[in-house]
Amino acid sequence: MEQQPTQRISQRARTVWRIYGWIQVGIILLLTIGLTVTVFLWDWPWWIVLIGLGIALLEVLSFVWLVPSLRWKRWRYDVTETEIDLQYGLFIVTRTLVPMVRVQHVDTEQGPLLRKFRLSTISISTAATVHKIPALDEQEAERLRQSISSLARVAEDDV
Amino acid sequence: MMFEPKRLHPISAIINFVKTLKDAALPLIIVLVLNGNIFSGEVDWIPLLIWIGVLLLVLGAGIIRWLRFTYRMEEGELRIEYGLIFRKKRYIPIDRIQSLDFSEGIFHRPLNLVKVSVETAGSTGNEKAEAELTAIRKEEADSLEEAIFQEKKRRNIRPDDDTWDTEEAQTEIEEPKREKVYAMSMKEIVMMAITSGGAGVVISGVAVFFSQFMDLLPVGTIYNEILDWIQISVLVIAFTALVILLVAYGISIVMTILRYANFSVFIDEDDLIITRGWLEKKQMTIPLNRIQGVRMEENLIRQPLGYASITLISAGGSVLKNDEHQLRLLPMIKKAEVGKILTKVLPDYDVVDDFHRPPRRSLFRYILRHSWFGFLAAIPISIFFFPYGLLSVVAGCFLAVLGWLAYHDAGWNILEDQLTLRSRGIIKQTYFMKKYRIQAFYKKQTYFQKRKHLSSMEVMLTSGGGRSLASCYYLEKSDTEEMMEWYRVKRVSEKPPEE
Repeated sequence: MEQQPTQRISQRARTVWRIYGWIQVGIILLLTIGLTVTVFLWDWPWWIVLIGLGIALLEVLSFVWLVPSLRWKRWRYDVTETEIDLQYGLFIVTRTLVPMVRVQHVDTEQGPLLRKFRLSTISISTAATVHKIPALDEQEAERLRQSISSLARVAEDDV
Repeated sequence: MMFEPKRLHPISAIINFVKTLKDAALPLIIVLVLNGNIFSGEVDWIPLLIWIGVLLLVLGAGIIRWLRFTYRMEEGELRIEYGLIFRKKRYIPIDRIQSLDFSEGIFHRPLNLVKVSVETAGSTGNEKAEAELTAIRKEEADSLEEAIFQEKKRRNIRPDDDTWDTEEAQTEIEEPKREKVYAMSMKEIVMMAITSGGAGVVISGVAVFFSQFMDLLPVGTIYNEILDWIQISVLVIAFTALVILLVAYGISIVMTILRYANFSVFIDEDDLIITRGWLEKKQMTIPLNRIQGVRMEENLIRQPLGYASITLISAGGSVLKNDEHQLRLLPMIKKAEVGKILTKVLPDYDVVDDFHRPPRRSLFRYILRHSWFGFLAAIPISIFFFPYGLLSVVAGCFLAVLGWLAYHDAGWNILEDQLTLRSRGIIKQTYFMKKYRIQAFYKKQTYFQKRKHLSSMEVMLTSGGGRSLASCYYLEKSDTEEMMEWYRVKRVSEKPPEE
């Protein structure tokens, strides 16, 4: 049995993802309300509203309840001197290896919601790809960015 | 050494003119058309004057742009100053120049001129520090190339010393020698033009035409004039379509032949040089150390004939974008000869032939992956267009066959530091890659694959301004793990053989 990466992302990620889920549900509900109005105004078939409600319910079940915790459980990473090792994905479990030699630059970014929860996303760019670790603890992300960029600087670039 | 600013050849004013005219062709033509009938003598003077005015303006702009454009070599930089209204200066450090690519258009040939495109390493990033010298004399281009070569050499000798004196360095520079490693025969070029992608369209077009024709013949014996007339007109339309198709095919053949005539590959120290073209001569220089991988492609028409094409995956390559996205090293070659020529060009790449294949139990997945959409689409089509719609099932079956082929052709191989992946969409592709060139490695597994101990993998390479993905699906889980181990082990100690 091969071993998984050891580090996990912040627990607060689940909360943020849940909020994202609620926002999506909210949008669907707004659309449904709009549809309800049109149903009354122009005698559209009433089951359109049911579809909207159904989608909203499904979203509550999946994007609010199920997906955030599953996604959090799956997300693991490791950063060593030689490589970055990521594991993520709900249905398709992806394991990504990026050699430190290949790293061109590292960024951290923070939206309003992430900032509120003191989280930040780190993205690692190579010449061809960008790899993101979402929702790390602010300080952890800062530390990681510095260590990756210094490790990458030591490694010689030859693209 | 070239210190004084130089101008391009005056012909570049004309080239600028023609280029701008080409871009502005549409509005000009509209003005000309609105002008009414010139030949009837009733000329509307104002639009015509506008037209002439615009032409003069464009010509003037071309001339001024030519006057303003200067280039020179100074302090280890290629310095270009240009700009019609805004004066621009672009200084490109010689170190950063990857290659000079020459091309000769119809304007260039009679005057012995070349267009020089300067390619820099920066093309992978966003900054675009490249330059184009529209037309300069060939000797000048050669001396520019020589000067850059010398400059680079001198830098290599004394990297820290910026105050270089000329004599000393010049003595130790020997003439770079070009070695021809491959030339394409005319027969192969014609073969390639005939079997290109357009061929499939034409063949199916011919097939459709003759099936129509066969259908129509017996019906034509019915003595019904109107029906006859309709049939004939259908025939005429079909025939016209066929002729257009054939003409398009013919043109594409001629274009391919013109473009690939005299195709040859040279090795010049650390650079690979590809020259080709009849009307327009092209020369591309690819530094060998920029090559990220090699891809072999076999399409459905060429594969049975035993032909393949070899494409280089190279980092940088801004020049390529304009005309072709791909850097064809061997556009069409007998598959048996690939290894022989590739060892001359890229000795550290091996053309391997035996592959680890995906296990038997992934066959179904391959077929499903390729054909599920076809079969799904066949259901509504069959229902709505009842009797004939059932034919769509045939399309699904065709996709299923493609899926079977994909299973049959998938495979991987590891030989020392080289990974070879073979896969098929419609075209069969084989990627040859070095461990130290692979940007990232992905191992993927779905829930269902996990239960069956299967797993897919992908690797990413840099190419041009973007990336290039090689993959192999539904392998034995232990196989992908083996590849992952291969990718991670000993990476630090083993550095690319730089020189």
